[in-house]
Amino acid sequence: MSAKSGGLLASFDYLDDALGAIRELCKAGRKDLTVYAPLPEHHIEEALGYRQGPVRVFTLVGALTGTATALAFTTWTSMDWPLVVGGKPILSIPAYVIIMFEMTILFGALSTVIGLFINIRIPHTKPLVVYDPEYTAGRFGVYAPADSAEMDDVRRILEAHHPAELREDREGAHNA
Amino acid sequence: MATATEQPRGAMTHPDVKSYGQVNQEILKALSRPGKGWWALLALSVAGIGLFFTSWAIQIVKGIGVSGLSSPVGWGVYITTFVFWVGIAHSGTLISAILFLFRAPWRQSVYRMAEAMTVFAVMTAGLFPLIHVGRVWHAYWLIPYPNSRYLWPNFRSPLVWDVFAVTTYFTVSAVFFYLGTIPDMAAARDAATGWRKKFYKMTSLGWRGTDREWHHFSKAYIYLAALATPLVLSVHSVVSWDFAMGIVPGWHATIFAPYFVAGAIFSGVAMVITLAVPLRKIFGWQDYLTVKHFDALSKLILLTSMIVLYAYLTEFFMAWYSAEEPERGVFWNRLFGHYWWATWIMLVCNGLVPVLLWFRRVRHSISALFVISIFINIGMWFERFVIIVTSLSHEYEPFAWGVYRPSMVEMGILIGSFAWFGFWFLLFTRLLPAVAIAELKEVLPLPYRPRPQEGGAD
Amino acid sequence: MSDGIKRRDFLKVLGAGSAGASLVGCSTDDVERLLPYVVPPEEITPGVATWYTSVCRECDAGCGIWVKTREGRAIKVEGNPNHPISRGALCARGHSSLLGLYNPDRFAGPMVREGGELRPISWEEAEAMLAERLQGAGSNVLMLTGSAPGSLGELFDDFVSAVGGTRVEHELLSEAPLREATRIAFGRNVVPAYDMERARMVLSFGADFMETWLSPVEYTRGFGRSGSVDDHGSNKAAMVFLGPRLSLTGQNADEWFPIRPGSEAAVALAMAHVIAREGGDAGPYQPVLEAYTPAVAAELSGVGADEIEDLALRFADQAPAVALGPGLSGHHGNATAANLAVLILNHVAGYVGRTVRVRNADLGAASQSYAEVREATRRMSADGVQVALVHGTNPAYGLPRDAGFVEAFGRVPFKVSFAECMDETAALADLILPDAHALESWGDSNPRPGVYALQQPVMERVPHFDSKQAGDVLLSVAARLGRDLGAATFYDFLRGRWERAYDTSMGSDGFEAFWSTGLKNGVVTIAEVEDQREILRAPDVALTFDLPEFTGGDLEFTLQVHPSSRLGDGTQANRPWLQELPDPVSKITWHSWLEMNRHTGESMGLRNGDVVRVESPHDAVEVPVWLYPGIREDVVALAMGGGHTDYGRFGTGKGVNAMALLPSLVEQPSGALVLQATRVQVTPTGRHRRLATIEGADTQENRPITPAVALAALGHAEADDHAEAEGEHHDELQELQAYGGFVPVATEGRAEDFPLPGSQYGDYDPDENPRWAMAIDLDKCTGCSACAVACQAENNVAWVGEDQVTMGRDHNWIRLERYYETVDATHAGPVDVRHLPMLCQHCGNAPCEPVCPVYASYHTPDGLNGQIYNRCVGTRYCANNCPYKVRVFNWYTYTGEEPAFDGMGYAPEPLNWQYNPDVTVRTNGVMEKCSFCVQRIRETENRARIEDRPVQDGEVVPACQQSCPAEAIVFGNVRDPNSRVARVVENERTYRVLDELINTQPAVHYLKKVTFHEVEAGEH
Repeated sequence: MSAKSGGLLASFDYLDDALGAIRELCKAGRKDLTVYAPLPEHHIEEALGYRQGPVRVFTLVGALTGTATALAFTTWTSMDWPLVVGGKPILSIPAYVIIMFEMTILFGALSTVIGLFINIRIPHTKPLVVYDPEYTAGRFGVYAPADSAEMDDVRRILEAHHPAELREDREGAHNA
Repeated sequence: MATATEQPRGAMTHPDVKSYGQVNQEILKALSRPGKGWWALLALSVAGIGLFFTSWAIQIVKGIGVSGLSSPVGWGVYITTFVFWVGIAHSGTLISAILFLFRAPWRQSVYRMAEAMTVFAVMTAGLFPLIHVGRVWHAYWLIPYPNSRYLWPNFRSPLVWDVFAVTTYFTVSAVFFYLGTIPDMAAARDAATGWRKKFYKMTSLGWRGTDREWHHFSKAYIYLAALATPLVLSVHSVVSWDFAMGIVPGWHATIFAPYFVAGAIFSGVAMVITLAVPLRKIFGWQDYLTVKHFDALSKLILLTSMIVLYAYLTEFFMAWYSAEEPERGVFWNRLFGHYWWATWIMLVCNGLVPVLLWFRRVRHSISALFVISIFINIGMWFERFVIIVTSLSHEYEPFAWGVYRPSMVEMGILIGSFAWFGFWFLLFTRLLPAVAIAELKEVLPLPYRPRPQEGGAD
Repeated sequence: MSDGIKRRDFLKVLGAGSAGASLVGCSTDDVERLLPYVVPPEEITPGVATWYTSVCRECDAGCGIWVKTREGRAIKVEGNPNHPISRGALCARGHSSLLGLYNPDRFAGPMVREGGELRPISWEEAEAMLAERLQGAGSNVLMLTGSAPGSLGELFDDFVSAVGGTRVEHELLSEAPLREATRIAFGRNVVPAYDMERARMVLSFGADFMETWLSPVEYTRGFGRSGSVDDHGSNKAAMVFLGPRLSLTGQNADEWFPIRPGSEAAVALAMAHVIAREGGDAGPYQPVLEAYTPAVAAELSGVGADEIEDLALRFADQAPAVALGPGLSGHHGNATAANLAVLILNHVAGYVGRTVRVRNADLGAASQSYAEVREATRRMSADGVQVALVHGTNPAYGLPRDAGFVEAFGRVPFKVSFAECMDETAALADLILPDAHALESWGDSNPRPGVYALQQPVMERVPHFDSKQAGDVLLSVAARLGRDLGAATFYDFLRGRWERAYDTSMGSDGFEAFWSTGLKNGVVTIAEVEDQREILRAPDVALTFDLPEFTGGDLEFTLQVHPSSRLGDGTQANRPWLQELPDPVSKITWHSWLEMNRHTGESMGLRNGDVVRVESPHDAVEVPVWLYPGIREDVVALAMGGGHTDYGRFGTGKGVNAMALLPSLVEQPSGALVLQATRVQVTPTGRHRRLATIEGADTQENRPITPAVALAALGHAEADDHAEAEGEHHDELQELQAYGGFVPVATEGRAEDFPLPGSQYGDYDPDENPRWAMAIDLDKCTGCSACAVACQAENNVAWVGEDQVTMGRDHNWIRLERYYETVDATHAGPVDVRHLPMLCQHCGNAPCEPVCPVYASYHTPDGLNGQIYNRCVGTRYCANNCPYKVRVFNWYTYTGEEPAFDGMGYAPEPLNWQYNPDVTVRTNGVMEKCSFCVQRIRETENRARIEDRPVQDGEVVPACQQSCPAEAIVFGNVRDPNSRVARVVENERTYRVLDELINTQPAVHYLKKVTFHEVEAGEH
């Protein structure tokens, strides 16, 4: 959470305008930009300079946990009360592999989702002040946090890229 | 996520969809007040569900004997229908996950309804093991939980594998399905009013489409797809092992896993067409579900149908080649025995009818595809019937051979299961965007400022 | 697990104990002194069985039985090992006597008819009423009884002569012609006894000695010993069956002469002719034999003269052989002549006195004369009878319509029935005095000279029914009439009679000792009279040996009416066990069927189950047809026992009554009823029904199910082993083991092969445990199905009803499979029908076990394939995966007080009293199957543990083995190389069904049937 008191929210109809604004703001050393988009757009990620995220760790750990759990469980339950069936050994590992596989997938998938939710902080129900319903429809939004001192040059940069709409946010109530 | 293809995107798939806004509008309008037809269908499906549970209740009260099952045919319509629905469930995750990993540009428009179909099909299939067992009130004994009997399930039993495979498959597809809808729920939220707005506010979990959300979302989506892909293949393999692990002649075959997976995709894609065609008509989505999409789907059908046919022929060949009397007996009996008609329905519907798809004109005729897909659905139900019933009725002991005749109760439950599935699907078409809005936009042209520019958008 | 089992048993015992206690309490005062086999009744302990000896009354063979009672309830009937006739074995009908005892349709008490309605009255009133009527009847009293051997018969006679009147005995299955023929031939008015065990060759002229003829259990055992190869694979006596239809006995023959109906006499005489020509002594019959050359016989019978000649020579050669019959299926117009001819044949060949015993004989077999019944009927219709007493017979059902019995009986002013339950005759009666069931009554039998058996009540009378033994009723009625028959109760009467008969030759230490030994052992045998060669006497009556007359002479088919091996003459028709027992020949249950030659049927465009109209000059019935290769093309056959109109909930309306088609003909001179009397017209009705059969396919379809071996091919075991050593034997199976990869799995059931590593024991320690196994000798097994019913009785196996069987849901744990190999009705030749009792094979590598998700099916440490009912959720995967299809599923609760649907299996009070408290009663939705009688195994093991000794070989006896009349089954621990089963398993004939195909390692070993003809190569 930045200490900035407020910021500017610009909505663009065109992707290239939005990208231009982002690039320039970054060049100007603006941090903590929040970009709204109706679709996942790699140009934006590049412009913001994203690298690999941590979700994959959740996936891996979850999956391995699943494998281990299944192996331990099947083995233990078989030894717990050894009953012979069809002349097969008490520990019929090949059969257990299937259980292990399924558990791997299950745990992996669930922990991935958990990882995602943690990383993007949803679900959350806080009021969406700095937001525009248009963002899910067609528009792109760029929010640059800025205090009163920086406010003007930020505005200048944004306006240079023909925003369809420019809103000032004094409270800084948004929570990116 | 982001497709490698650059400008002009979408040209090949959705020539007539111009702007992002249009997508939202045209897709979300399906979520408005439903018309009479929808209510009629809903009423019909509710009636069917009534039939379904009445039949089941009779069976629980009187005993599983109200089915036509007997010795030696201990599995019949119930297991057939179980396998049928599990098979249907497959194309969903296939289209969404596998085609996603392969970056197939045409999946975006269909994968949402395919996924929905998957979830509901598994919900339907999941009921059948319960319906089928003799003591449903003890069915939970298949689930491993610490109990006073100090007894754990037998993990060597394919049925226990089933329990794990199917529940896992249901959970993962449901999660995958829901995750995909979150951005579109947000879209719906931003468009909707009244109770719908509240509903989507909840379901969209406060999604806003920020760069950070999209970034992690895309990554997570890839990992899930990567996990779901082998799962798809495993689940129907496990289902096939219910049979292949048995020593019943006609079941005990190594090709069963791939054979069943192919069959599952085959039937699933057919079912997608069966469902997509009416939706397209009702909601006027011709621009989104274009002929190209159906063309791609029918090519997939063509491929899998050839695999399935090949599997049939391999089975017959191996039976003959094994020179084992019981094996040969079963397959001879399949073609010319008591259930010859079922076998020939299977061969015609799954082997012969899809041949039509070699012709572009057929592939491009929506109505023809619809009819063909119906044939395939029927054929694939009979495939399972043939595999299960003909094999059991004609096993090792000639003196113990017997025939099985499905009862009214079984028919009631079979029909009811379609109603149960239809019920959920109907709700889906009205509550969730049946076409993936956000992902569809990925294959549309990017909104660049027109050049040479006269004053921009406004 | 053993703990779990013990706990469960304990609970069961508590339940059964408290239920039975009340009975136990009062059992001694109501019944006279009961001498149990092991412990006196006052020492009955809950959970411990008490045994009582008695005599089986289901047919006239007079088998000795002993009855297992638990907490005062009879739960199982078994053959009395001490009894010279049953020797521990028992037939299906014998087992079913329990269902007669607990038949829910028995009369609740005495009843009188008022205004057409039956009204309950007290015994006091009833006896008073009867006494009064008898008073007024003068000498016009008719007593119509079934065969009543021993003291009961004597009491009947005393009573009738005391009150003035006549007594007529009537049995449908009467051997009067045989008795008459013996009288004519040897001057002895007896039914001969036959020594199957000594016979080197058995010639059966349609005598179904394995099913209904004379003494089936005894003769099956006898032939089981002589007619199968010994340990050295030799000394097998051949059986040749001469008759128009292959009965079960015929199916077990090695050769079949499908002779024309009625030509038995001619063929027998022709054979005697040949033997006499070779120097046999034909006595006064020499001139007769002259007339019957093989050529003549061939002409009459339709088989080749040279074949008859050859058979005759072999018969003379294989001394001592025996010729039997003709039985009831030979009861045509000249039955006496036919019987005489067969006796002559035996005599000419010199076998009388060796295998045919007429001096030391007189089997208890019924031999009443139908002529007397006709006379009685005439008297009744002429109003010559005031009071008619009917006991132990049901002429209103069993007589041909032409006999006019029903009308005549109706004219009698006062009709009294002693029936236990409603039957067609009791339905006409004015007074019903329900008799006690045989297992509740006193009695005795004298099946042959020197054999005296006591029939004692095995339990207090079933409290649901206020019955009273007929003997007691008659005595008290006589007392009311002021006639003294020398005893107050039948018990005293009986005992007095024995006391009079007793002399020191029967036992030196006094009558009391003799009497109690009689009760203890159930039988007293006295030194038998020595048999000797008899002199053949000239006939004192006119006889013709030519083909008999048949009514409806020009009609297409000759109708053969034969007693059913399940329902006899219909007396057992109200027993669900027997109704549901697949007929050993047709495998059909519950309903009647018309047997017709397969080719004939196909040429008429008939399929199995097509309903046809069978029309004789006397009546017509409609019945589904069953096409059978084992019957002449000009003959159709109907079994007796069906078509009851008023015989309780299980007997009424099942099938058709074959007797309706017959004329009321009397055979001369014996006076017996002619059963093979008419020809019939068969016309399709166009209707069809699914037969209630358990038969799938009737051939083996080239699978190794019941392979056979030719006698000539036996005895080369060493050579085989040698070949095996050189690897020329069939490929060895390789089995993947938990450890050590693939190891070869031997496919012979050698004792030392057990346990196969990782097969039937998994990780159990084989050395700790026995490996229970069974061996079944298919050369002995006749397919009589006694084992199936014994199993039902022991293991509470439910009956499911006709519709369920039709759907394929039959419940028997033992399925008697019947495969045709060689059956040709067109000419004389070898016949080969294979019977195979299929039960749970208790596989080492049981396919049913690993597929069960909840361990309901698992392997016990002692090698049993356990089925835990209360774990089962009913996925039925195990049944699918069982290659032997021996698992049966409870589609409904077949054991409840009420049926799930009409006509479905259920166990109303007091039928459920028969349940074995040591075995769980299964309900809706669980799988079940043969358990190798695990309750008996555990009981024996526990006893051994208490006595601190190992379980001995042969100590554990499953119900099927116990009851098998052919002694075909051996059970024991195959881990013990000295056990009998382990030795049998090493026999060169041993194989295991399908084992070479799917490596299931069954614990049930079969010994191949041995044939005289070559088994074609490639054929199994």
